[in-house]
Amino acid sequence: MKYPTAFDVIVIGGGHAGVEAALASARVGASTLLLTQAIETIGQMSCNPAIGGIGKSHLVREIDALGGTMAIAADQAGIHFRTLNNSKGPAVRATRAQADRVLYRNAIRQVVERQPNLTIYQDMMVDLTLKSDRIVSVSTRLGMEIEGGAVVLTTGTFLGGRIFVGSEQHTGGRAGDPASLELSEKLRTLPLAAGRLKTGTPPRIDGSSVDFTKLEEQPGDEPRPVMSFLSSSDVHPRQISCHITHTNPQTHEVIRRGLDRSPMFSGDIEGVGPRYCPSIEDKIVRFAERDQHQIFVEPEGLQTTELYPNGISTSLSFDIQYEAVRTIRGFENAHITRPGYAIEYDFFDPRGLMPSLETKSIENLFFAGQINGTTGYEEAAAQGLVAGLNAARKVAGQTAWVPQRHEAYIGVLIDDLTTMGANEPYRMFTSRAEYRLRLRQDNADLRLTPVGRELGLVTEDRFKTFVARRDRLDKCNSVLAGTTVYLNSDLANKLSKETGEAISRDVSLLDFAKRPGVRAEHLTASGVFTDKDEAYLVQALIDVKYQGYLRRQDQAIERSKEQMGIKLPIDMEFEGIDGLSNELREKLEKVRPSTLGKAASIPGMTPAALSLLSVHAKRHSGLRKTA
Amino acid sequence: MSETICAIATPPGRGGIGIVRISGPACRNVAQTLLGNVPPPRSATHSDFCTTEGEILDSGIALYFPSPASYTGEDVLELQGHGSPVALDRIVGYLLEQDVRLANPGEFTERAFRNDKLDLAQAEAVADLIASGSAEAARAATRSLSGEFSRRVRELDQGVLMLRIFIESAIDFAEEEIDFLGDQEQQKQLAEMQALVESLIERSSAGLTMQLGLDVAIAGDPNVGKSSLLNQLLGEDRAIVTATAGTTRDTLHGELSIDGLPVRLTDTAGLRESDDPIEVMGMERAEAALEQADCVLWVVDDEDVNAAVPEAYQTKALTVSNKCDLTGREPGAVNDKVFRTCALTGAGLDELREGLKGVAGFRSGIDAFAGRPRHIASLKRTHNALVTAANELSALQGELVAENLRVAHECLGEIVGVTTSDDLLGEIFATFCIGK
Repeated sequence: MKYPTAFDVIVIGGGHAGVEAALASARVGASTLLLTQAIETIGQMSCNPAIGGIGKSHLVREIDALGGTMAIAADQAGIHFRTLNNSKGPAVRATRAQADRVLYRNAIRQVVERQPNLTIYQDMMVDLTLKSDRIVSVSTRLGMEIEGGAVVLTTGTFLGGRIFVGSEQHTGGRAGDPASLELSEKLRTLPLAAGRLKTGTPPRIDGSSVDFTKLEEQPGDEPRPVMSFLSSSDVHPRQISCHITHTNPQTHEVIRRGLDRSPMFSGDIEGVGPRYCPSIEDKIVRFAERDQHQIFVEPEGLQTTELYPNGISTSLSFDIQYEAVRTIRGFENAHITRPGYAIEYDFFDPRGLMPSLETKSIENLFFAGQINGTTGYEEAAAQGLVAGLNAARKVAGQTAWVPQRHEAYIGVLIDDLTTMGANEPYRMFTSRAEYRLRLRQDNADLRLTPVGRELGLVTEDRFKTFVARRDRLDKCNSVLAGTTVYLNSDLANKLSKETGEAISRDVSLLDFAKRPGVRAEHLTASGVFTDKDEAYLVQALIDVKYQGYLRRQDQAIERSKEQMGIKLPIDMEFEGIDGLSNELREKLEKVRPSTLGKAASIPGMTPAALSLLSVHAKRHSGLRKTA
Repeated sequence: MSETICAIATPPGRGGIGIVRISGPACRNVAQTLLGNVPPPRSATHSDFCTTEGEILDSGIALYFPSPASYTGEDVLELQGHGSPVALDRIVGYLLEQDVRLANPGEFTERAFRNDKLDLAQAEAVADLIASGSAEAARAATRSLSGEFSRRVRELDQGVLMLRIFIESAIDFAEEEIDFLGDQEQQKQLAEMQALVESLIERSSAGLTMQLGLDVAIAGDPNVGKSSLLNQLLGEDRAIVTATAGTTRDTLHGELSIDGLPVRLTDTAGLRESDDPIEVMGMERAEAALEQADCVLWVVDDEDVNAAVPEAYQTKALTVSNKCDLTGREPGAVNDKVFRTCALTGAGLDELREGLKGVAGFRSGIDAFAGRPRHIASLKRTHNALVTAANELSALQGELVAENLRVAHECLGEIVGVTTSDDLLGEIFATFCIGK
């Protein structure tokens, strides 16, 4: 049966990728369908109840700057906020929010339901129809065929999902939800490179069975940070604390006893798990010398006593989980409400994607989230936004938009995925960004909101708020640049007194502000700025302090742009290039970089090898012209 | 790789020894026909080099390196004969009849590459070895070829990586229970790495100068003995020497080797006011030569108490106070920039030669590497980044320490290959138990 209407864009899946994909597509004017197995689980946080963190909140701010919804929902659902790396520089400062799962889901669902151009429909996609390598429709379990100009697949852990607890295993997309098996089989018939990845969760614990007096309390930060450029902490619900406890040698002893029934070690699980988020059994085996591991006890919400003990994700047998949990301080009488489990699922090598996140082999089919080998709500949402936007643009006959590495963490994410692929679930870290000093939380809107407005992602209201903020910043900057501190003037004396910095000649306020000891409050206290300026001044000073570094990076960006402009022929023969090591040659054969810039990011690459490549690329193109 | 290749491995021209190198599967057959047997591996065997008709082409040392323990990784046969170009050509001509073809430029190196015998820095050193004009440079190139330069840079690269593991984890995994390095320990490691880079730069620069040699211009007022100095240094009568000022009208050139350091000498016309158009042209050329020179030997009369090096050349000049036989003062080094000589007798010239070696960074006790300008530039930028990192560490700017170390790592990567952020993260996960 044909579904009565056709859509420009069909988004499959209502998780973090699917939601941002559907919203972005609808916002830029495409008629969009969000097809999900269960409307109740739109915006569900399947793993730990937190949004943000180091590197991740950078993504959240960028999604927000581009009109996405994750940051606003996190503010509305956040029950505990912290600023991370506060003692370190502003570039690496990050925000994390513990979220009430129910509040978060509700916040997301409200936005989705109210979005014009967006239709929600509950059914399961089981098949797709191609017309000469172009996707034209999807079919559902109820026999509905829905036509769409483009399709965005965000399957999360559902595609071929398999759940493991000890030696028990069954198919499933998430505890309590069925896996997408037919679709998995169907996709495996297409020319896409499939693989398996694995992730896991800890057992959930009933808080009423926990002795909190034995746990270390960790309250949220005051003043409370916010996620969205549009939010203030007034929208936050009631705030509660997190807690910290540790495993101990006794816990490790119990776990070691259960290893023989662990699917991780028995070989039942073939998928690769993330090294930065290992299961507790993995930690104990790999770091045998450690006699304790930290557990961060996160509340699941305001209305529930359930807890998420972050740090002990496991797929050990339930009896071992039960015994091991009870060896932990504070958990002596703990009741497990849901056992921990590992889940293995399908993903496709993201090197099969164009940077727009459209698959190279099937036109108008886009992938976002865990299907591309990533992990994390934030990584998923970022890809969803890009895929949804580009699906809509493709249908409208427009060129794709993808931020570059020096413009956004989203650019780093997409470039890493499509160039390097994913050997393990990919997570964002600030160290992945070579332009980390400019890709900051504080300036995500300056970097992205103007282009988001042009693309149609940013509403007029958001843009107005942004312009007002930008104007205030500009004003601060022009005062800094336009004020001279004259030797022995009143201002010079005040500034010297405030900062303890000597002023021995006339100096521009901008140059004075570059000195390490000068902070925003000194400048307001000396009367050049008002207290109302301080928040803006703080941000202006970040750029002032980083200026030397940012300028040097500008040169690197120019060089990289040049390299990106040098195309390497798709059929380039690396075999014939004298002077390339075998190792590099093999890597080049595998990656087949499309530009010299992409080749530059291959591990082990040297400038000498790059110059060889560029010479040969030139020779190659010359040869082809004469041939 | 089925083809066997050969090439004359010694520079063109007559030399004391001439080497033909053969690489590939036909080496054993070639040995059998040319030497009458296959020599024992890796030992020098004296033999006649004979055609099947019994004609002796040359005689000398044969060396056989069976695969894979050879330069190219294939069977290699080296024939070291007398350096006559005719004999060498006859050997090669004979080989070409035996299923062996001439190697393309760089083909031995290419094969060594393919068989994983060389890394990039080593391959570049091979190129230097071939091009190097002096024995010292060849020695430096050999040291680099054996991988010492690569090894040192890799060591440094590893050091930067280890420090970055701690510094980047402290940023990305701030909440993990990791024993981060204290600031003092970080400072200590930064200082050690700085010292290591400094010594690498010094050794590479010395190697570079040895390959490129030194351009030295002889200049000074007319009739102070510049041409005599040239003749004495070259050990031949290149320049016409008379007592008449202005005898040398044009620049004169000569080359010499000081303990393996190639020195190109240019004798310039004496600088003085003149109406003679030829002499004026000569002086213009002299000024150009002075501009280009790495070092200027500014010759003055030992009797002239007011003599001084012109401002423009002060930084690169050595003062040669000549004709000390007339003042009766002792010839030799006055200090490391001033030398007293008698160009007629050669007195004081040994000290001057040592002075020139000093200019080339040719100090005793330095084991030079075959430095490439590109490598030295990368090392200098590495050094800058490490110094700035130490400063930022003192200012407690953790993310800027990290940025400078990233830059340092990138610069070293230009020599030994880049370490990507993914490699770095891999090391972090292998080192620390990360992950809640």
